[in-house]
Amino acid sequence: MSSAAPAPESRQPVAGAARTRMSRMAESAVARARLSVVPRRRTPTSRVPFLALVTAILVAGVVGLLLFNTSMQQASFRASSLEDRAAALTAQEEGLSLKLERLRDPQRVAERAQALGMVLPTTWCILELTKQSPTCTAPAATAGSPLRLEELPPVKPASLDPKPVVKHTSRDTDRTSPNRTHRQGRNGHQDDSTGHRDDGGRRVTR
Amino acid sequence: MSSSRTRRPPRASRRGSAQFRLRIGFLMIAMVLSLFAARLVQLQGVDAKSYAAQAMAHSLVTVVLPAERGDILDRNGKPLAESVDGLMIVADPQQTRDKAPEIATFLARRLGLDYFDTLARLRQISCGTGDECRFQYLARRIPAAVATRVVDRAEKLGFEGLDTRRDPARDYPAHDIGANVVGFLGTPDPRKGVRPLAGFERSFDNRLAGTDGTSSYQVGKGVRIPLADSTLTKPVDGEDLHTTLDLDLDWYTARVLRQTVEDARAASGVAVVMDSRTGEILALADYPTYDASDPQDASKEDLGSRALSDIYEPGSVEKVLTVASLMDAGLVTPRTKILVPGELTDGQVHPIHDWFPHGDLPLTLAGVIAKSSNIGTVLASRKMPPRELVRYLRGFGLGDQKTDLGLAGESPGIIPSGPALTPQTKDRITFGQSLSVNAVQMTAAVNTIANGGVYVSPSLVEGSATTNRGEQVGTDHTVERRVVSKKAAHDTMLMMERVLDPEAGVAPGAAVPGYRVAGKTGTAQRVSSDCQCYDGSTTVSFAGFAPADNPRFTVYVVVQDPGISGAGGGSVGGPAFSKIMSFALNRYGIAPTGTKPSTLPVEWAR
Repeated sequence: MSSAAPAPESRQPVAGAARTRMSRMAESAVARARLSVVPRRRTPTSRVPFLALVTAILVAGVVGLLLFNTSMQQASFRASSLEDRAAALTAQEEGLSLKLERLRDPQRVAERAQALGMVLPTTWCILELTKQSPTCTAPAATAGSPLRLEELPPVKPASLDPKPVVKHTSRDTDRTSPNRTHRQGRNGHQDDSTGHRDDGGRRVTR
Repeated sequence: MSSSRTRRPPRASRRGSAQFRLRIGFLMIAMVLSLFAARLVQLQGVDAKSYAAQAMAHSLVTVVLPAERGDILDRNGKPLAESVDGLMIVADPQQTRDKAPEIATFLARRLGLDYFDTLARLRQISCGTGDECRFQYLARRIPAAVATRVVDRAEKLGFEGLDTRRDPARDYPAHDIGANVVGFLGTPDPRKGVRPLAGFERSFDNRLAGTDGTSSYQVGKGVRIPLADSTLTKPVDGEDLHTTLDLDLDWYTARVLRQTVEDARAASGVAVVMDSRTGEILALADYPTYDASDPQDASKEDLGSRALSDIYEPGSVEKVLTVASLMDAGLVTPRTKILVPGELTDGQVHPIHDWFPHGDLPLTLAGVIAKSSNIGTVLASRKMPPRELVRYLRGFGLGDQKTDLGLAGESPGIIPSGPALTPQTKDRITFGQSLSVNAVQMTAAVNTIANGGVYVSPSLVEGSATTNRGEQVGTDHTVERRVVSKKAAHDTMLMMERVLDPEAGVAPGAAVPGYRVAGKTGTAQRVSSDCQCYDGSTTVSFAGFAPADNPRFTVYVVVQDPGISGAGGGSVGGPAFSKIMSFALNRYGIAPTGTKPSTLPVEWAR
């Protein structure tokens, strides 16, 4: 490629070429001599805003931490007081439901009903929505005796349930013991009445 | 110059050169700092863990979060057993001694405590340990709200030395109702805690108990430190147990049963009410029973359920199973004519008699049931081989098959098998002797007739629950199987209706006015537990269902060893059955079916 199109400079005389190179070097030297270091521009800024910022962040941090801690403590107090309240309310609810259970105990309901003279129905009618008239049960011939709600007292063996012993004493022997009612202590109340009535000089002891 | 030179040496000798002083200073600081460093290494490197643990122990609080025990509920959600967050009131006698009478008066009035006992406790000097007494129980298991209120009030009145402690309590609001099923908890063991002693409380303890949790956190001045280390294991509360019992019906059943047993001067009794279609047991009453909230005074044999643990010979009630089997096999019809002699001797050591003396009686099969003739039943079942009869009875759920209600201590009945099953034994089995059952088994067997010939296994637990033994029980696991044909069951029902007929039958007292009722009496010779022989005592019972043509309830009443003369299934069990059945029909609003009762002939003309 170089043989086909040779460069035009290669045909110039050698001396002329040296001179032009020299002048170019001088020019560049001159140009280089003109360059100088530009001094860094230091605008004198105040340190106050920076310090203020740092201080503000610090203060905000400390105050925030303090507030956060305080609110945590507050929340903790509040939580424990609310827990106490919840426990108290749970206990109250439990107490009320216990009372309700006691009130609707079938035994108690039956006792109250019997005290009011209520009896179980011997006949009743059932109304079905698909039928026109209610279906009634036939009335029983007699109303049965009321249901016994309490257990019968246990039958004591004869040795524990002796028959009353009736002793006949004379009127005089009773009169001679005026302090008897006092000696009887807590049971004196009952003896008091028999002691004063004393009809026929009978004393019943068990 | 010379003056300054003469002054300098003494100064140098006193304080040394600056460099020297600095060195001394540095050395001292270094020594002190190295002491600190050594201590730091000791604290942080060598003993770090033990110190940290000490610090934690000082401020760390670990609290057990008790799991709440599940409730036992009836079918309407009413509690049969529930946990109450109770408190105990304790006293420090050192502080209470001075004002003991005032405090005792106050507590006696507020909590109904015994004045003298409380006074003695408030003045207690020695607790038996030698040290001075600082702790006395005053009242236990008081509802939390009440206890807190009383102690607060006491503090306001200036009474010091009272305090409360946690004392979880179990409440049984129904007392003796369902007690044999529900069971009870004993006094808690100090180490193991809850002690379930009977019933569902025991057999479903794992389900009811739940798992306790723990919470540990750091405390400063009595208040929890926020953001400090804390661990929390949440408690898992016990699951509730829903039973199929109906509290109100159970109460009525229990009261009727008690009155029946008392009036008959009997040893014990059982009454069962079952939903005919589902096999759910609506009421299960035992007498004598006990109060679940005060089980200490009860005798031990009353704690379990006699309905499951007592096995006895069912007597004539079993005849309905025999004739249902015979009709299913096509061997008889309700109108089959039987000539019933006054005594049956063949092969028997003791000849078979009927409960009433008679000559040759021309009875139909319906009459045999209505009059409850043993001889008639034996003659009717002559064509059925013993093994076939036993196969049917097993189908009805009798014999060695537990009912799996979820209660421990069940004794299934016994049907003789193998060489013990002689033709004579089979003859006695046909009228309900020589085999034993428990009351729930028998109820389910009779219920098979009510349910159109399909056996439904009984259940006491709604849904599904796993017992401590790992058995799954409940209505979700109900088993159904056909035992006899629908026709056989229907015909048996028609014959059972004749039992309540005022003229043809033996138990008019069991009737419920307005309803069709099918039933059967039973008066069986009873094996005494003392001599293991028939001692002349009896088991009287009545089983039946209503409305007969569309049964909803099956009721079975059993009374053991009645002490009055002439006690029979009709006279003792019948009226109790009638009361319980009419209460159940009324309570559930079951209308009479309005159809005509059966008029099957009971006799035939010779």
